[in-house]
Amino acid sequence: MSALQPMRRSIITSILLTLLCAVGVQAQKTLRWGADPSGGAPYVFNDPNHPDQYIGYEKEMVDALAAAMGRQPEFVPSDWETLVSALRRKSFDVIVNGLEPTADRQKQIQFSKPYYIFQLALTVRSDEQQIHSLSDCKNRVVGTLGNTAASRLLQKEGIPMKAYADPPTAYEDLKLGRIDAVIMDVPAEVFYVSKDPKVKRACEPFFRGTYNIGLRKGDDELKTEVDAAIDKIVNDGSLEQILRKWGLWNDAQVELQTKNKAGEPPQSESAGYDITSISFNWREAIWRLTRAAFVTVLIAFGSMAIAVVLGMPLAIGQWKGPRPIQWLCTIYVEFFRGTPVLVQLLFLYFGLPTIGLAMPGWLTALIGLGLNYAAYESQVYRAALAAIPRGQWEASYLLGMSPLLAFRRIILPQAFRIALPPMTNDFVSLFKDTSVAYAISVWELATAYRELANASGQFLLLGVAVSIFYLIMSLPMAHLARRLERRLQRTEAVEAVESEVV
Amino acid sequence: MIRVTNLIKNANGTPILRGVSFAVQPQTVTGIIGASGSGKTTLLRCLNGLERIDGGSIECADVRLESNLPKQVYARRVTDLRRKVGTVFQHLYLFPHLTVLGNIIEAPTHVQRVPRKQAENEAYQLLESVGLKEKARRYPERLSGGEQQRVAIARALAMHPDLLMFDEPTSALDPKRSAALRSLLRGFVERGHTMVIVSHSIGFLEGLADNLLYLEQGEVVEQGPAEQLLNSPQDPRTKDFVAQAK
Repeated sequence: MSALQPMRRSIITSILLTLLCAVGVQAQKTLRWGADPSGGAPYVFNDPNHPDQYIGYEKEMVDALAAAMGRQPEFVPSDWETLVSALRRKSFDVIVNGLEPTADRQKQIQFSKPYYIFQLALTVRSDEQQIHSLSDCKNRVVGTLGNTAASRLLQKEGIPMKAYADPPTAYEDLKLGRIDAVIMDVPAEVFYVSKDPKVKRACEPFFRGTYNIGLRKGDDELKTEVDAAIDKIVNDGSLEQILRKWGLWNDAQVELQTKNKAGEPPQSESAGYDITSISFNWREAIWRLTRAAFVTVLIAFGSMAIAVVLGMPLAIGQWKGPRPIQWLCTIYVEFFRGTPVLVQLLFLYFGLPTIGLAMPGWLTALIGLGLNYAAYESQVYRAALAAIPRGQWEASYLLGMSPLLAFRRIILPQAFRIALPPMTNDFVSLFKDTSVAYAISVWELATAYRELANASGQFLLLGVAVSIFYLIMSLPMAHLARRLERRLQRTEAVEAVESEVV
Repeated sequence: MIRVTNLIKNANGTPILRGVSFAVQPQTVTGIIGASGSGKTTLLRCLNGLERIDGGSIECADVRLESNLPKQVYARRVTDLRRKVGTVFQHLYLFPHLTVLGNIIEAPTHVQRVPRKQAENEAYQLLESVGLKEKARRYPERLSGGEQQRVAIARALAMHPDLLMFDEPTSALDPKRSAALRSLLRGFVERGHTMVIVSHSIGFLEGLADNLLYLEQGEVVEQGPAEQLLNSPQDPRTKDFVAQAK
């Protein structure tokens, strides 16, 4: 009975709060905060036991901050890469997502005083003997999240990097041997792999940066309010309590909070703390876009080649094969057409390694899209083949041709003309579908645009640059397809002119 | 040349040909006449192996097809048979992606492996004989119906068949073109070709066919020299058909 009481009270409270909000928004202001909950542990993430609720140390901290400010917290799930631009678009009022106050970001938004000191942890496989520090990684591929302190550090050190959308993917690839090390902020590292026997820390955590709350420039009142609230939860020990609960309390925090309690003025953030910064470099951006474009082209052409070749046996099997083959081909086609290509890629990337087949991301995307589009091409072929009159087969047989010869010399060339326009269509859409490779951390053009634009805020200019890249690639293809179509009809056209003259 | 004995063909349990027997002598023209649905076209499709026979036998230039042959043996003999028989369909089925010349040399170069140059020379000769030499580089769709038909004839002749078969050759031709085709075919007969022509047009066959075969409901009602069958038919059913056709 007594155990139920607090719960009941909290229900009543929340009903009252809702009513209060409904009666007058002025009565209690909200604090709308944005963060990326996907793979966002331990900052803010979906509670595995109550998937419709969010938990995390920053969630608890915001609750405490909001309480101190007399506001009602309202979480706006967002996307890590677009947090800064979403804040500026007023999707929410503050960013609380382990955000580091870099120089680039400070051009776009302002920051509160720090609330946490983070360090970086370098993780390697348990059997790794060579890597004992970041400098041992010069010729290895290191995984991390895109647009973070860690990624900027790697870039600055010139270490080959692979950017991931969330920590679990990166650690998964480390265990599968696709990369050699992962560098991550300590909170994430503690949460995801501190108890995993397959990996270990290569060295003690290093680097010392701060997490601050991001605010729009000009929201100075809110900044004062937030800073005061941070002081409050530091001073009354509630932040320490939360951090201890999540295993994130350490000497660095003691140092931060002691300074704070001592009432030292909010210092220019650089004093005493490291700040990663890679200023945006257009030359480098274009170079990275070029590489991304190359990956896009590689995936598009490679998978189309697979689709064009594999589509044919599928089409013939489904059309003329014996019953069991027909069934198999139909199952294949319906499976690949009936499930999202994204799911297929994730399956290939994370599912296949469990049976010992770990392919790199670009190859997975190339094969996955190829298998997927083969299903579509087979239907294009089947329709085209079925459109050739039976009389064409019979005429070929009566001239003594074998079925194979008739198919190759008579049926296929005619079917090809029918199939060419829909195939061109499919290729264009395949070209765009390469962007789903983002899901398996392939750095292709669409991903590149998103990351670079969010890092720099140059959505417009980079958008133009990326569009030009896409056009450079797609226009020649469209031109080529048109020329091929024309070539198939040219003789007839010459002919038409000739007969008119006659 | 051809001996058909008691040929039976069923389609979905319905008899189409009920014991057809006839013979074709070398260097003659045999016309098969009859109303629509009488089984004329099916008979032709049995003769060139597009339909498998259900009873009786076909002997054609020392290839013998029997209804009870095992599937593979039957298929092999059909292949042999097709080397001797050329067919011109009612709908022609020219290859639209190949030029006139390409249509004609396709089978010689890829089936008989005749060198391309030689095949082309022969093709030009054939085109000359059907009066289309200057249209060798055109595509079939740019030709008139009559011209297309002559291409189909040249295509069949390029394989040097012993026997040439036509299915309804006049269905798409006006009377003037019909007459032109008849004189063309007569020329081929004089040069020693053997032909079987399926047609419902008695007018076209008169004076071209040596022998006629009147088919009704899958049975041969009457056969004999063309003149006799047209001028003094014996069976009343033939009499009716000839009278109506004229």
